[in-house]
Amino acid sequence: MKTKKIIIDPITRIEGHLRIEVEIDEDNIIREAWASGQLFRGIETILQGRDPRDAGLIAQRICGVCTNAHYRASISAVEEAYGIVIPPNAEIIRNLVTLSLFVQDHIVHYYHLHSLDYVDITSALGASCAKAQEEAHRYCASPYRNSVEHLENVQEKLTNYVKAGRLGLFANGYWGHEAYRLTPEQNLIQMNHYLEALTIQRDISKAIAIFAGKTPHPQNLVVGGVTSVAEILNPQRLNDFLFIIKEVREFISRAYIPDMVMMIDAYRESIHTGEGRASGNFMGCGGYRFSHGGTLFESGVIKGHNFDRIDPFDATKITEEASRSWYENDAPLSPYEGETTPFYTDLNDDGSLKTHGKYTWVKAPRYEGEVMEVGPLARMMIGYSKNSPAIVPYMEAFMKRSTMKLIDFSTTIGRNAARAVEAQLCCDYLFDMMSDLIENVKYFDETTWSKYVFESLPQSSQGAGIFEVPRGVLGHFVKIEGGKIANYQAVVPTTWNASPKDARNQRGAYEASLIGLRLADPTQPLEVLRTIHSFDPCLACAVHVIDATGKELARYKIATP
Amino acid sequence: MRIVIVGGGIAAVYLANALSIQPQWEVVIVSEEEFPPYDRIHLCGLVDHSKTLDAITLHLNPRVRVELNQKITAIDSTAKRVLSDHAAFHYDKLIIATGSNPKSLFDISHIDNAATFRSVHDCERIAKGMVDKNVVIVGAGPIALELLDTLMKNDAAKTITLIVRSDYLYSRELNPLSIALIRTIFESDPRITIDFNDAIVDRELLEGKIYRILTKKGRVIEDPFLIFGVGIDPNIAFARETLACDKGVLVNAFMQTSDENIYCVGEAAQLREGGFIAGRVKECTMQAHVAIAHLLGKEPQFKPAVTMDGLKVGSFLFADLTAPDFNPKDPHNETILLSHADRIDQYIVNNDRLKRFIGINTNTNLLKLKSLMEQDDPIDVGYFYSNRVMSENGRLVCSCEGVHEQELVKIIREHGVTSFAELEPFSTAGRTCGRCKHDVCALIAATPIDPKEALERKRAQEASAKEGKLAMVRERIAKYNRIHPQNQLSGENLQEALDSFEMRHEFNRWISMVTASMHLHPDYEEVVKEGVTNLNKIPIIWLELSDCSGNSEAFIKTSHPTVDDLILKYLSLDYHELLMAGSGDQSETALDAILHNDHGAYILIVEGAVPLGLEGKFLRIGAKGETGLALLERVASGAAAVIALGSCAYDGGVVAAAPNPTGAVGVAQALHRTDIINLPGCPTNPINVVGTLLHYIMFEEFPKLDEKNRPQWAYSFRIHDNCERRGHYDMEEFVREWGDEGAKKGWCLFQMGCKGPYANLNCSLVKFNEGTSWPVQVGHGCFGCGEGKIAFDHYANNRPLEEKSDEN
Repeated sequence: MKTKKIIIDPITRIEGHLRIEVEIDEDNIIREAWASGQLFRGIETILQGRDPRDAGLIAQRICGVCTNAHYRASISAVEEAYGIVIPPNAEIIRNLVTLSLFVQDHIVHYYHLHSLDYVDITSALGASCAKAQEEAHRYCASPYRNSVEHLENVQEKLTNYVKAGRLGLFANGYWGHEAYRLTPEQNLIQMNHYLEALTIQRDISKAIAIFAGKTPHPQNLVVGGVTSVAEILNPQRLNDFLFIIKEVREFISRAYIPDMVMMIDAYRESIHTGEGRASGNFMGCGGYRFSHGGTLFESGVIKGHNFDRIDPFDATKITEEASRSWYENDAPLSPYEGETTPFYTDLNDDGSLKTHGKYTWVKAPRYEGEVMEVGPLARMMIGYSKNSPAIVPYMEAFMKRSTMKLIDFSTTIGRNAARAVEAQLCCDYLFDMMSDLIENVKYFDETTWSKYVFESLPQSSQGAGIFEVPRGVLGHFVKIEGGKIANYQAVVPTTWNASPKDARNQRGAYEASLIGLRLADPTQPLEVLRTIHSFDPCLACAVHVIDATGKELARYKIATP
Repeated sequence: MRIVIVGGGIAAVYLANALSIQPQWEVVIVSEEEFPPYDRIHLCGLVDHSKTLDAITLHLNPRVRVELNQKITAIDSTAKRVLSDHAAFHYDKLIIATGSNPKSLFDISHIDNAATFRSVHDCERIAKGMVDKNVVIVGAGPIALELLDTLMKNDAAKTITLIVRSDYLYSRELNPLSIALIRTIFESDPRITIDFNDAIVDRELLEGKIYRILTKKGRVIEDPFLIFGVGIDPNIAFARETLACDKGVLVNAFMQTSDENIYCVGEAAQLREGGFIAGRVKECTMQAHVAIAHLLGKEPQFKPAVTMDGLKVGSFLFADLTAPDFNPKDPHNETILLSHADRIDQYIVNNDRLKRFIGINTNTNLLKLKSLMEQDDPIDVGYFYSNRVMSENGRLVCSCEGVHEQELVKIIREHGVTSFAELEPFSTAGRTCGRCKHDVCALIAATPIDPKEALERKRAQEASAKEGKLAMVRERIAKYNRIHPQNQLSGENLQEALDSFEMRHEFNRWISMVTASMHLHPDYEEVVKEGVTNLNKIPIIWLELSDCSGNSEAFIKTSHPTVDDLILKYLSLDYHELLMAGSGDQSETALDAILHNDHGAYILIVEGAVPLGLEGKFLRIGAKGETGLALLERVASGAAAVIALGSCAYDGGVVAAAPNPTGAVGVAQALHRTDIINLPGCPTNPINVVGTLLHYIMFEEFPKLDEKNRPQWAYSFRIHDNCERRGHYDMEEFVREWGDEGAKKGWCLFQMGCKGPYANLNCSLVKFNEGTSWPVQVGHGCFGCGEGKIAFDHYANNRPLEEKSDEN
């Protein structure tokens, strides 16, 4: 069989530096795929030897997109190591910020990072605004900002833009590609919301900033709790937060969810063919406690799409290996023991990946030796299968509206649908958590920090902060010796999804999801982008390394071919 | 680099403040005193309680760490450490500024009623001990005279006897006429006796107290309080073993000692060539300046210059001007004395050259005399004589800066100065050693200002300043109109234009710009809107290197103008990995097209550090596997301007934090360029990005930059100075524990490790996320994220800086 290799680098509209290489046959069907992280920074190395209390602010810089997630996980890992339990108010504030980030992140992902794979901006210019208004009503009784005048404005803005001759960000898109299915009117509706979503994501950021000072890179956490005590005592600030979330909820139910249903309608065929389906292994760690008991997310492990059997999640079964990654020591190790030193074997002379050897800075995490997919899809699958009262009503409502079955979510489009449902339910539960906070304050619980005397904390210990964050399961693992960080490791959602092959040649989730995909035009690999984007990659997070010996921190080797 | 300064006086503080401006230097002052450095010149004020210790405590940059109660006993130059009895301080560079020790004629350490006059403790002892005593001051020099003058103004002492070993006062060169005049002035106080040619020959002690003093000439003083003002010795015992010393520590013209890593300045230092030892504040600060310059790799040399000094006594005016080569023992010295009533001008001349001038109550133009000495011009005795009656400039008020009374009066009148602070823009008088600050203030208070005239003068000045501003605005508008022929700005309505175009108000201007509606007069709003909208779009390439996308994520949260307006109307964001539609080949073709078509016209914004380790291969972009560095070099070469956005692009930021695993550097360093515009922050507030870009759109030039190439309008504010919690700092109301009562009340976070005092940015003014909040508002405090990698190595913790440095 004659095959041909295609390199897509950079993958844009993601965080970080990702390359995808695929091998296609004569029918343009992908037979093999390699995902490669192309940047190494070594934040974990930088963390070594520092005061454990300082880890948060530096670990946070692992990523500017999931920024709060790393901040929290890092501080929680240190708290666990020291046995510090944070007060309920602190946990609520942390949850409010994290869940707001879920919503913000999901909206930005769908509209700004992903929708251009499906929405043809040039087609929207030819739409009839009157028809578009009608079309929107097919998916929602009161569509978001849907007057003809408004749509005309949007169209005019876009037309002027295109006429001006400089397409800027939209230059060299895949406009006119045969894989675009939406009608001109549908494209206009989605473009309308693309622009509105810019405002919405800005507003949610304001809500986050109320408790966290700013975003990206919030600054309100310390080991033992949160610093933003004055905010919870200020009814105006609490009110501001609620009103923003209320606005956002409107947007989600009147724009995001209907747009997603529209997308499902248009691409139903790809759902039926299972486009973008990976191994069917899903993992979730659960979390976000409700005051009345239970948690927002369920923990568990699903293998091979077997929704009837949910194994309990056990963090000690996580290993990482580096047989195909640019690090020394190929053997699988637990994150606490992670011992890896950069071992860069370079690219081929023509710049392509050495696909038979090591080919990425991303390591290969495995659960009981198996590849796992993490993220909103995994959470919705596990929550639904475990009959979670927090998840089931939302999933059922959406499944009914879109006539999707559970297995349909395990596709490129389905991943996005799961993300939209999650944004919707997170938004709702933010209100619950806020009322818990108000109740506490009302009954004079103003505590936001658990007191400890640092000098009397153990000199040696270890701890983990494991959380569901927008892209999946995030674990930060810290080992403390002599009062300093001896070892630090982050096992990040994108590390799971963007994982390379392992010693047993099991493909990572990105790689697996691409196999069997047919490209309409190999010079414009839009289908690859769609599937990869559906995971919401975040590469800055994924690439990391720790040198347990702590001695040779900047050692690297270049192997001779 | 860590610089340790040993000493606790003006020279040490001058050094520390100047050095602490360098962000990469850690500056530590080690002082044997128990108080933070203070101004010895004003010690007299403590004796008569006219001043408090706080008032004479010297201002010190908060970045400087001060170690008190650490008397240095030895230097270990091999290990680069200085040792006290309790601690060792590592240094990379050491500066000795220990000044001198006061001499006493016998050991007074166990005597209750005897003191020297050098420190706060001495002052306390004197103030307490002299009450109703017969005070005996031994000495004739400036210290003794100043002390005598202080005690004279205070009625605590019963009698005061100045015991002078020889027959002169102040200096051996002073003429007998002046000595007699000074003596008369002092002895006009019946309590005071000046006793020449005498000395203490015996003292009788009881229980650690002298109860009687006997002098050579048979004077018996009962129930005394004894003060030695006999002179000083360089305070360098600890350095003698390690460094070449004579009277002081020997230094070269760069103030470097025999060990190249150790400098010595001020009274402790002795020039190897010529043996000069500084005695005056101005000389000490000049030496400090030379040492700092040498540390910075420059080479100005210290040369003794003409010194101008005044005796700080209230009863008479005294000025002393000395040429550096004045040799009192030279037999060719001649004295010319001109006297009139209580005014005496003494000129010491050698071979027709003026070598010294000592004037009492003089009106002479000292600057003219100074330049005579400096130029080594021959003298004209006639000038001295005629000068005797000239009094245009009046007396010398500030000897450090050479400012005379009438010059000051003129300034005060002309500018309508009513306070010391208002004087600053016009004169530096009273600001070097501070000795004459009181006189300057008195002069300001005593100089009447005609309110009408002052107002008129002020109006005239304002009018001319306004004319200047208007001219600038006209020029700006003309330039704007040249650049944007299709979008002309109106030259009318200049008053409104003024507010927003005037460069000094750039901050306000960008706030008004960036808040889009601009809160301006409606006419003007229309004009600017027209101007900014539909401009010729500036192509922008945004490269993400070793980054976390935090700055991109922040950028899309910009408002006023909103990001959609910005992208669709103002900027042509042609390449931005996070946002652009195309990937792979498509994105790279787009990039190549911009590089080709817009060569020399596009702006390059770089987010992230540049990893240089592994030949740059820690980051590779594009199908050919180009390294981040190679891509940066390729794109930067054709850019009209390069903006390094965020702290990583500035100097490597968190990516370059120790141990810098990937050898990351900032954009300027990677490209070896000095014209990169830096917008550090983690992430940078989008207001600062957009403001800078809008300025460029409107005028095709970037706003004014500071020495680190950061736009002044955003980076010339110290966070601490504009902090909403500053009032609590000043009241010493601190949060002491997270979530405590202070935290609930919004008190100052300094004790919780807020680094606002060390950070220069406008966060406290513009805040984040549309002005919603900022780290101080949410009770966490600032960690100086905009200061680059130093923030991640030293500031990113919740502890005050002092604690951190214990680890060294």
